[in-house]
Amino acid sequence: MKHEYKLGGTVLLVDNVSVTIGDKPIIENVTMEEHDVIRDGHNQGQMIAVVGRSGRGKSTLFKAITGLRKPTKGRILIPSDEANKPIEVKEGDVGFVDQKYTLFRHLTLYNQLKLAAQKGSTPESEIHGRVMELLSKWGLEKAKDQYPGHCSGGQRQRAAILSQILSSGYFLVLDEPFSGLDVGNVEDVKSMLRLVNASHELSTIIFSTHDIELAVELADKIYVIGFPSEDKQIGTIVSAFDLKTLGLAWQSYGKEHIDLVHDIKKKILAS
Amino acid sequence: MFKKIITPFEVMKAPHNMALIAFWLVAVIGFWYLSTTGQKHLLPSPQSVLTGLGEEYQEGLVPHIMSSLSLCAQATFWALLVSLPLAYLSTLPLFRPVIQGISKFRYLPLTGITFYLATSPLISSGRAMQVGVLVIFMSVYFVTSLLSVIADIPEEEFDHARSLKMNRWEVLWHVIIRGRIDYAIEILRQNLAIVWMMLVTVESIVMSAGGLGTIIKNADRYANHGRIFAAQLVILLIGILLDYLLSELRYSFPYVNRTQK
Ligand SMILES: Nc1ncnc2c1ncn2[C@@H]1O[C@H](COP(=O)(O)OP(=O)(O)OP(=O)(O)O)[C@@H](O)[C@H]1O
Ligand SMILES: [Mg+2]
Repeated sequence: MKHEYKLGGTVLLVDNVSVTIGDKPIIENVTMEEHDVIRDGHNQGQMIAVVGRSGRGKSTLFKAITGLRKPTKGRILIPSDEANKPIEVKEGDVGFVDQKYTLFRHLTLYNQLKLAAQKGSTPESEIHGRVMELLSKWGLEKAKDQYPGHCSGGQRQRAAILSQILSSGYFLVLDEPFSGLDVGNVEDVKSMLRLVNASHELSTIIFSTHDIELAVELADKIYVIGFPSEDKQIGTIVSAFDLKTLGLAWQSYGKEHIDLVHDIKKKILAS
Repeated sequence: MFKKIITPFEVMKAPHNMALIAFWLVAVIGFWYLSTTGQKHLLPSPQSVLTGLGEEYQEGLVPHIMSSLSLCAQATFWALLVSLPLAYLSTLPLFRPVIQGISKFRYLPLTGITFYLATSPLISSGRAMQVGVLVIFMSVYFVTSLLSVIADIPEEEFDHARSLKMNRWEVLWHVIIRGRIDYAIEILRQNLAIVWMMLVTVESIVMSAGGLGTIIKNADRYANHGRIFAAQLVILLIGILLDYLLSELRYSFPYVNRTQK
């Protein structure tokens, strides 16, 4: 059964973006436009996957989307507080969790989240309560006084995601959130992302992964980033798959998903 | 067992490690005894060292130690006061060239600076001159090491702080200053070895201020090997003690793992 949905305003516009580091062009003419997905009876956020072979520029694109690296060309727009007045993204507007789940090494998990909350919109008097609530909801209550160096990878990852949610809200970019996790942890992260996604209508999650099955299972839009041809080794979007129009979004994984995985892998290998 | 102790990277049980340490201790002391038995001594005998130590104690070894420790503390204090801000300011483009330049001064010879400070009309006492020389040297090494610690911080840590809406000054505070304070202590510990050695030299140049350097110099004058050796041992042991204290200070930060290098 195909789910009904409507598209609302633009939540992200990556407009013809190129990034050059030093004098080496890394990505070129990347364009992505994402809309608010509206479904009756659902708090429906957006879940976007970016796939592609190693070194094609996924992390570079993510740093641009999160405002950590200014594009050499083009612009990246996100909605502002005022309707119909998009703004250029700047660092801190969009949450970013890197592949190593970096945290401050000198702060306990509780203090990390407290510091992050002070940078966000939570009123000072509610910070303690909010941090404690999230810690227990995400299974970090026991580890709250531990330092990152003494936490497991999964605990660090959850703390890193929570820090970003507390400071930036519900627009999150995650670079390879599934790499190096065991089967159980992968399930945990999946449900965490779904939890974040369903918590807010405008919630938008962009993640990269090398696990195409997982991308097809979770995302409602998938971008393939790759080199356009043999002699042009600069990353760009080589295909995009909208699982909503294909009728594959928000469905349980089936035969058609498997076919799509196959198609995507072909595109990746060719780029 | 024998095969194990000559296998690279082999990890030994704690009691076995203790046994190995004991073995080497006995071996070193045994060698010392043996090497002082013949006609021509390689080393002064343990007895003469003990006698030397006793004499030095009578002549005020403890006040001399205190004097050296106080010189070391003063120099460390001023050197930290100078080099920490300099290293942190090196993140500002304005100061970067100057601070990188300062780090090059570690190729400057000690003697020249000492001579200059000793004759400078601005420096009134021998002690001030000693502090001055040590502060210059410590700061130069300290800044160099701190610069490399800062350069080694992974980009992700800066990105993490920036993605939390921190301004650049907050990034500096959290990632470099607070986030690397234990590294600063570790650098202090490593550089202290150089300073401790230099301190003795500096003290033996300006003898009026006392200190362990004076003791060595005095013993040297009478070519009393037992006394020289005793003084050296005292300096070595105090150095090791300082080293130990600083490494404990570093591990007192709850987020520093003992296994971490
Ligand atoms: N700071 C940098 N300086 C120079 N080159 C860089 C820098 N960061 C990335 N690159 C180059 O840009 C290219 C893309 O790197 P990027 O990390 O974005 O790839 P990726 O798609 O995320 O790869 P992976 O799947 O392995 O994480 C690589 O060739 C890399 O060497
Ligand atoms: Mg990457």
